[in-house]
Amino acid sequence: MFSAEERSHIVQIWNYLSGHEAIFGTELLQRLFTVYPSTKSYFPPLIPGLELTQMQNHGEQILMAVGVAVDNMYDLRTALSGLADLHAYSLRVEPTNFHFLIHCFQVMLASHLQSEYTAEMHAAWDKFLTNVAVVLTEKYH
Amino acid sequence: MVHFTAEEKNAITTTWGKVNVEETGGEALGRLLVVYPWTQRFFDSFGNLSSASAILGNPKVKAHGKKVLTSFGDAVKNLDNLKATFSKLSELHCDKLHVDPENFRLLGNILVICLAEHFGKDFTPEVQAAWQKLVAGVATALAHKYH
Repeated sequence: MFSAEERSHIVQIWNYLSGHEAIFGTELLQRLFTVYPSTKSYFPPLIPGLELTQMQNHGEQILMAVGVAVDNMYDLRTALSGLADLHAYSLRVEPTNFHFLIHCFQVMLASHLQSEYTAEMHAAWDKFLTNVAVVLTEKYH
Repeated sequence: MVHFTAEEKNAITTTWGKVNVEETGGEALGRLLVVYPWTQRFFDSFGNLSSASAILGNPKVKAHGKKVLTSFGDAVKNLDNLKATFSKLSELHCDKLHVDPENFRLLGNILVICLAEHFGKDFTPEVQAAWQKLVAGVATALAHKYH
C-alpha cells in the first residue's frame, strides 16, 4: 500500500514529531479550532483559563494515536480497530472533519519544516493520514 | 458574500506583499499535481508529469502556476467583490475548461500549505484562518457561474 519511499518519508516525518506529541498536538488543535470553529462541537467545551491544558491533553492523545498508526502502517485496520469503534459508535465525527484535521496537520508541518517539507514528503503524509481516516470511518455504516 | 475583518484584510495583504508569485504559483500547481495525481487529468498536454521532480521542474506547470496565482492577486485587490472579480473566469472554467469546482478548494488548500512553508512560524493559526477564508471565497466565486 505504501512504497518503500513513501514509508521512508512517513517515518522521517514521525521522527520529527515523536517526543513532542503535546506541543504539536496543541498547535494542531489550535489551528483546527481557529480555522474550522465547527470542529469544536466534537470536543468538551473549552473552559476559559484552561484551554491550553485541554488542548495539550487532547492534542497529545491524537498525536500518540498517529504514532501508533505510523508503527503499524501496513496493518492499520488491526492497530486502529479500537479507535475505529470509538469513532463509529461513540464520537461519530462527520467524515468531512477528518479532511480539516489532515489539512491543518499539513499546514503545521509546512510551517515548521519549511523548505525541508518537499512535495514527496507532503504527498506521502497526505496518503498516510487519508488512509488512517478511511480506517477510522470504516465502521460508520 | 464573504466579509473580511480589518485584521483579516491586513493579514492577507501583508502576506501577499511578500509572495513571489511566479515561484509560489509554480510550486502550488506542482504540489497539487503531485499530492492529488488525479488532478493531472486537466493537463495532458503539459508533457512529462511522471514524477514529483518532473512535475515541479516542468516549464508548462511553472508557467501555468504563475498565471493562476497572478489571477489570485486580483482577489487580494478585490476582497469585497470576489464574485464579480471572477465572473468571467467562472464561466471559462465551466463552459470551456470543465473543471469540477472541488478542484478550486484543493488548490486553495495547497496554496495555504505553500504559504505556511514560506512564512513558517509567522503563518499563525489566525493568519491561516484569514487565508482559508480567502481561498474558500475565491473557490465559491469561481463556481458561482456554473450551470
